[in-house]
Amino acid sequence: MSVADLGHVRTGHIHPPPDTFVKKYVFSLDHKVIGVQYFITSGLFFVLAGLLAELMRAQLTGPNNHVLSVATYNEAFSVHGSAMVWLVTIPVLTGAFGNLIMPLQIGARDVAFPWLNMVSFWMFPPAGILLFGSFLFGAPQAGWTEYPPISLQMPFGTSMWCMAIFLIGVSSTITGINFLVTIVKMRAPGMTWTRMPLFVWATGVTAFLSFIATANLSAALAGLFIERTFGVPFYDPAKGGSPVLWQHVFWFYSHPAVYIMILPAFGIVSEVLPTFCRRPIFGYKAIAYSSVSIGLLSFMVWAHHMFTSGLQHWEQFAFMALTMLIAIPTGIKIFSWLATMWGAKIHLCSPLLFVLGFLSTFTFGGITGVLLASVPVDIHEHATYFVVAHLHYVLFGGSMFGIFAGLYYWWPKMTGRLLDERLAKLHFWLMFISFNATFLPMHWIGLHGMPRRVATYDPIYASTNLFVSISAFVLGLSFLIFAYNALRSAKQGEVAGPNPWGGRTLEWMISSPAPYYNFDEIPIVLSGPYDYGKPLPYANIKPELATVPTH
Amino acid sequence: MASDGESKRLKDDQGHYLDAGFWRAVWVMAVISVVLMAVVVAYPIDPWFLPEASTTSVDIDKLFKFSMFFSVPILVFVNGFLIYFAIRYRRRPEDPDSAIGSQIHDHRALETWWTVVPAVLMVTLAVLSYFVIPEYYPTGQAAASAVTMEAIGHKFYYEFRYPGLRNSVMNDAHLPIGVPVTMDITSLESSQDVNNEAVIHSFWVPEFRIKQDMVPGMVVPLHFTPRETGTFRIVCTEFCGLGHSHMWGKVIVDSRSDFDKWYADQKRSEQAEAKGVQPISLAPGDAGAGQTTFNAKCVACHKAAPFEQKLVGPGLGNLFHDPSHPNLVTGKPATPANVADIIEHGAHGDMGTMPPMQVNGLSQKDVANLVAYLQTLHK
Ligand code: HEC
Ligand code: HEM
Ligand SMILES: [Cu+2]
Ligand SMILES: [Cu+2]
Repeated sequence: MSVADLGHVRTGHIHPPPDTFVKKYVFSLDHKVIGVQYFITSGLFFVLAGLLAELMRAQLTGPNNHVLSVATYNEAFSVHGSAMVWLVTIPVLTGAFGNLIMPLQIGARDVAFPWLNMVSFWMFPPAGILLFGSFLFGAPQAGWTEYPPISLQMPFGTSMWCMAIFLIGVSSTITGINFLVTIVKMRAPGMTWTRMPLFVWATGVTAFLSFIATANLSAALAGLFIERTFGVPFYDPAKGGSPVLWQHVFWFYSHPAVYIMILPAFGIVSEVLPTFCRRPIFGYKAIAYSSVSIGLLSFMVWAHHMFTSGLQHWEQFAFMALTMLIAIPTGIKIFSWLATMWGAKIHLCSPLLFVLGFLSTFTFGGITGVLLASVPVDIHEHATYFVVAHLHYVLFGGSMFGIFAGLYYWWPKMTGRLLDERLAKLHFWLMFISFNATFLPMHWIGLHGMPRRVATYDPIYASTNLFVSISAFVLGLSFLIFAYNALRSAKQGEVAGPNPWGGRTLEWMISSPAPYYNFDEIPIVLSGPYDYGKPLPYANIKPELATVPTH
Repeated sequence: MASDGESKRLKDDQGHYLDAGFWRAVWVMAVISVVLMAVVVAYPIDPWFLPEASTTSVDIDKLFKFSMFFSVPILVFVNGFLIYFAIRYRRRPEDPDSAIGSQIHDHRALETWWTVVPAVLMVTLAVLSYFVIPEYYPTGQAAASAVTMEAIGHKFYYEFRYPGLRNSVMNDAHLPIGVPVTMDITSLESSQDVNNEAVIHSFWVPEFRIKQDMVPGMVVPLHFTPRETGTFRIVCTEFCGLGHSHMWGKVIVDSRSDFDKWYADQKRSEQAEAKGVQPISLAPGDAGAGQTTFNAKCVACHKAAPFEQKLVGPGLGNLFHDPSHPNLVTGKPATPANVADIIEHGAHGDMGTMPPMQVNGLSQKDVANLVAYLQTLHK
């Protein structure tokens, strides 16, 4: 396809830049500013949720401790889990990375609906305030899943939890629609589906999931709120409701939600690998289409969280088989990433280190996921520390390592400065080792008989728990290195230039930080993004920026 | 096997992708995998890790081992290649800035293999799992032929109903070895309860490898056959409130004759009770022994501190000497007999449920000792 065949090249209209502080930084319509707002807000919630985790681990250093009261411990794990899922992982991966990177990668000047984008961000801080504020009114205690009937018997904080998650849900639905329209309608001319960067594929599938699945969560939450407030019986068995109904509707959202939390991380991995391996990604189409098939399958497996809730025999079998099916596209991705390293020219910089950490820990979490999918084995493992270990291997080992890979990778694009590599490597090794030391032993005690969501335990688990707690404290410290590095880079960070890593996707073809309205002229895309060894596949790019320097 | 054309492609530009170093790395990983797989096969879960105390547990462990068996090589090869590639293909100082890696975009045969092999493993695991499910959720014949009993979840203890026994057994279930049991699992229904306290609990015996949520309004039959004698834990795994961390029971698997003896004892005490000769335990107790019992059984819910210092239940430090709370939670005055009554039969009020003595595993003697100990407290 030649440039001439591409038809019109949109120029669009350009608004003058905002002039007041409020318009520029508070109610900004710029996707990049909104992305950073998401980062800062979720970062704050991450610190709070992390501190709750450390408090929990302090309580669990020994059996029958009284660091926290039982009620406070219950509140701690409920708010920790809810915050990590809804206020940290989902907003960072969709709101923050999606906003910051996706429009740049498709050569757009902003998302399709900038004003909606601003609205959906501003639903987010109030949700966080409601969730953490619930501590003043008796925070939720029944975990991030809030199964009724017990969640119907708790104080007002649980209603605040409903409102908080409802708000997040609406925000996530709106963002989903916004991103979908952006990806479908606003790609630069010449960017066919199979020329899209893989992070855009992942963001697209994620947006679809948020858009379709989140409405179910909102319905379930509305039901819980109405039952708690007005006594309309949806879930209370004594009044003719069904507690299992909640479980179905909740997981019909929350299983896709675990893919909302991992697909964008897959996308980040697929960007970082070719850049630092200096070679085309192995199996571009396989990776892109496996994201789509994972997305579709994720709607068909929700009841694997309910194998002990009294499902019919055939339901158990069906959900087991469908769950195992997901292992296949996931395997394809992992093997394709590995093959990308084969015969590569590897620059072992911090983003790649985090990706290697991701590959190692996520594969482990995927394997324990297969163990949990087999119904008879799950009957033993369900709701034990084995599950706590599994979920941290995929959410922390997967999503969080992916998030940090993305942060180190795109930090220069976001701020114009590089983070210090030595500190970054220290951060990686400390986090990787203490992460495994914290969560690996949990598999053991779970299989041996320690249930989740308990403030105390049989003394036979004392030494393992003490070891886990000490590792968790070290894990907490590792984040301080990142915080210090981030602050330090503002003044002392090396100036990055447009393309410090030698990336080939469009965000690297403009200056750092990305200028207002991103592209003076909308670029034209002539071929796929990862063809190292071939000339850059773009027209309409400023030639002084379109070089591939290396770091 | 890759065809000629394909293996040529794998070697193209630099010609060293399948060189001796690669095969050496593969061999190392293969040897590590085989060793670990052998360990997985040979590892005696019972007795080294956890007894296999029900017949089902043996089959579930086989499935677990099968999954581990194929997971081990996957983990070894993924991590092995990760490390090997990161070292082998690292950029050397002498490489120019513009140096790039291989140009291979895909490889049909390789991709087919890594789709088909996991698919076969998953199908195998699904089929094997399928045949184990009916062992604990039986249909028809097997369920009907077993002894049927009931397990009911309460805040925060288990109630067992045996065929032929009028009284329920609390927390500690006795079962005879080798007799198939169908246990109807459910939770207390809230309509029976003043405080609307029905919640989901769970019945898990790790040594049996079985678990079933106790959902109010739902009865799920769970089937198993104990195959080892001993005392095994029952653990609640569904969050059920403040007492969840402590919701533990016991399954005591007896020989046939021991079980028969226990059952006969239960029957006899039922008959004695029917004649009204249940003794009230107010024989003078031993405060020292009472303190030991208190620290073992009560501190999860009570402090030896003033009434206001609540855990699950009130502080008991001034139980007999508290002018601001002259009456007990039952509304009766704080006399030794009334306190003993609460400890024996439990109580139920605004703060929640004080479990009866069977649940706390107390004997009549223990109750007397506890009352003696509580009388010595004065904070
Ligand atoms: C699962 C938690 C739990 C355990 C274990 C427990 N209790 Fe209680 N206890 C309670 C609750 C809750 C109450 C208050 C009930 C109410 O509100 O009516 C209570 C009330 C009492 C009272 C009445 C207090 C008063 O001021 O009226 C006494 C006496 C008592 N418990 C003794 C004991 C002893 C002795 C033990 C140990 C064998 C024990 N409890 C174990 C939960 C527990
Ligand atoms: C410093 C690191 C962390 C530590 C030490 C930690 C510790 C814990 C512990 C001990 C529990 C189990 C509580 C229990 O069952 O009693 C827990 C639960 C949970 N954690 Fe974390 N965690 C950490 C980070 C994360 C991250 C990064 C995420 C998500 C991205 C996360 C998500 C969750 C979720 C969803 C639960 C389940 C909560 C529930 O039971 O409802 N955690 N965490
Ligand atoms: Cu799921
Ligand atoms: Cu419980």
